[in-house]
Amino acid sequence: MSADMEPDRLVARDIVTGYDEHEVLHGVSIESHDGVTCIFGPNGSGKSTLMKTLNGVVPLWSGSLHYGDVDITDAPPEEIVPTGIATLPQGGGVFGTLTVEENLRIGGFTVSDQAVVEERIEDVLEAFPDLREKLDTNARSLSGGQQMMVSLGRAMMTGADTYLLDEPSAGLSPALVDDAFDLVRTLVDRGAQIVLIEQNVTAALRLADYVYILAEGTLQFEGPPSELSDESELMELYLGL
Amino acid sequence: MSDTPILETRDLTKQFGALTANDRISFSVSAGEIRGIIGPNGSGKTTFFNSLTGFYQPDGGTVLFDGTDVTGWKPFRIARRGMGRTFQIVSPFKNMTVRQNLKAVHTPDDLDDKEARIDEILEFLEIDHIAENKARGMSGGQQKLLELGRILMLDPSCILLDEPTAGVNPALEKRIMGHIRALNEQGTTFVIIEHDMSVMRAVADSVTVLDQGQNIVEGPFDEVKDDPRVREAYLGRHADDEGVPI
Amino acid sequence: MSAERTDESGQRGLRARVDAFTAREDAWKWTFGAAVVLLALLPLGLNSFWTRIALGALMWVGLAQSWNMIGGYAGYLDFGHGAYFGVGGFVTGIVMVKLSLPFIPGLLLAGVAGAALAYVIGVPTLRLKGSYFAIATWAFAEAMKQLALILGITGGTFGMSLPTAASSFGIPIPGGLSETFFYYVMAALSLGTVLLSYLVLEHSEFGYRVQAVRDDENAAESLGIDTTRVKRQVYVLSCVIAALFGSVYAYHITFIHPNDVLGSLITDQMVIMVLLGGLGTIYGPVVGGLTVFLLSRMSSLFLGSSTIYLPLIGVLIMLVVLFAPSGIVGLLNGQTSRADVKKNVHELADKFDLL
Repeated sequence: MSADMEPDRLVARDIVTGYDEHEVLHGVSIESHDGVTCIFGPNGSGKSTLMKTLNGVVPLWSGSLHYGDVDITDAPPEEIVPTGIATLPQGGGVFGTLTVEENLRIGGFTVSDQAVVEERIEDVLEAFPDLREKLDTNARSLSGGQQMMVSLGRAMMTGADTYLLDEPSAGLSPALVDDAFDLVRTLVDRGAQIVLIEQNVTAALRLADYVYILAEGTLQFEGPPSELSDESELMELYLGL
Repeated sequence: MSDTPILETRDLTKQFGALTANDRISFSVSAGEIRGIIGPNGSGKTTFFNSLTGFYQPDGGTVLFDGTDVTGWKPFRIARRGMGRTFQIVSPFKNMTVRQNLKAVHTPDDLDDKEARIDEILEFLEIDHIAENKARGMSGGQQKLLELGRILMLDPSCILLDEPTAGVNPALEKRIMGHIRALNEQGTTFVIIEHDMSVMRAVADSVTVLDQGQNIVEGPFDEVKDDPRVREAYLGRHADDEGVPI
Repeated sequence: MSAERTDESGQRGLRARVDAFTAREDAWKWTFGAAVVLLALLPLGLNSFWTRIALGALMWVGLAQSWNMIGGYAGYLDFGHGAYFGVGGFVTGIVMVKLSLPFIPGLLLAGVAGAALAYVIGVPTLRLKGSYFAIATWAFAEAMKQLALILGITGGTFGMSLPTAASSFGIPIPGGLSETFFYYVMAALSLGTVLLSYLVLEHSEFGYRVQAVRDDENAAESLGIDTTRVKRQVYVLSCVIAALFGSVYAYHITFIHPNDVLGSLITDQMVIMVLLGGLGTIYGPVVGGLTVFLLSRMSSLFLGSSTIYLPLIGVLIMLVVLFAPSGIVGLLNGQTSRADVKKNVHELADKFDLL
């Protein structure tokens, strides 16, 4: 996408929510930015709850959620996807018993125009050339990195402009983590906005264009990664001190 | 604080199939200490508590409580010895009243007046006004206090708390911390797992850090938080990092 | 406690007066005393037929109460409980027929056998949780039935006849008095069971420990309660009681067959009675027992079929489980209010997009 048009931003304002009587997020405001927006926080910080709120799984108690001009505050997940937001769950959610092509086609399930589907498949293969010769291979026989390509590619089939990624490095060895983040970069280079929650701060900081740190349900920090050069301060923020 | 540890483990190990949840953990707490246990999720903290208190049978190593080897003892025996513990999810005996909840707890045979002890504890925790209420209708905060009350009925010398301030409002948090300090001043040892680091810093004498099943560092909170191994445990590793011992 | 309920949705009148009464410390004594007097006098006004019905009702209330001990108070749903009823009957039969002993030793040995068997079965099965425990105990009961059908000593597939009360006392007793005699035995056993439940399970430390095991076994263990021992004790107690009822029943009816007294219907009825009445309450088995038993007898009498009450009970169970899980007693004592029932109805309707 060219830079003359301001892309739709995913904007969450003063989100308060939780489970049963237990409040987890105490008024959190975040916004997607160009490139990769990272949300960090230790377990118990509420970052998974925040992700679930952003993709419509967990309802808000108060606050608002907008994507561009569209108010998606009370929208369930099936109404959020058509607005242009795609979510990748932890682990990728790739259907192992289906082939790469079948996985991609399922991603395009909501697209009625077949021509668009074919176009997007071509897009995905351009972004991830490794998949071209694996189209007929069952996804579970692919390497970790290739599975992630399938996962991202499938999300791309929805034609989304904004992707929510839930801990893409989870379960990956340190070497693979870099590869995973390189793949995320590919998406960014094609004009997508990424909102990414991550456990591995050290690795993800290299990828981030904007950072939020969440601890104990409140924002401790927001800003570009350059402002987080002091490791000791980062630790304090991360631990919510 | 005396020199003999009240609670000690030597190479405590617990495995679940291929996963080693507790990997040769050696650890020792002196009587009268408040020891914190921190570590990222999945580091094995709750498993450690379970192995200490007999809910899990360790696969290796020993647990010594007050000089006695209690490794693999059934939980009720360890509780009767004087080590109480809470669970992450608070669970009072819902169909009984607060008083009955306390009455159900096993007390030492030499306790003359159980009712008096119950009254004492209810007063100490300031929940005497709800003594006859069914536990089912109580607020989360009251349930937390009831849980503490039940453990106190055991007259424990050591109490293990698993995330005592989870889901708790600031006022209640202060109250709970107050009770912990008061009990500690009377000599009760505490071992506390916490995610709330400000609480940990405020209350713990020293802190043990677990990561991936191992005891990686111990010491005062502020020292431990700046330790590079702890930083790496929380913030993650990067393949390029130089000089980071793995 | 009663103060909350009289304020809730402005309930006054009967409910408030009932609550005020039940809140009294000695309410129990009055209720129990009244029941003793009533039951003692009842046979005077009944003929033999109705005495027999009353006798049956008392037995089932007692049986339900015994199941309630392990199922309701301890939370271990025992699906083999009926087997102890049958064991009690057969042991009494064997003692009286093969050993030619009178009833009392038969009764006592039935109790001992019940205790011993419960101990042996309890040790392995009580380690299991929930459905696994239910299945294991069910399997045990089935095994007992099959065993009784094969063994010669229990009469195999022919069943077993016991000497009649008249013949064992050596003097002829007119039929009517025989019914009355058994009525009083059942009444004593039944009242005794209810009293025992009240004293031991509702108002003693042991009872609190049993309920603690039900409410949260891990927490109970962490509070110094030897849950293994507590479970075994309450299980053995509940089984002995069932065995004693089986013993009296066998002596009364004089003919027992494995398919009847060791059949799963015995257990099923006990379970249904307690669920309907209110699990883990002292009055639940009484209310549920009377309701189910009388329904079954009435449907026999007036609808001509002794099994038509089963689908009726099935529907009642569904209604209770879906809308008022604490049973009839729960509805009566306010644990399940009108609002709760409405909520349950709505939740169910939501799931099926009905409303």
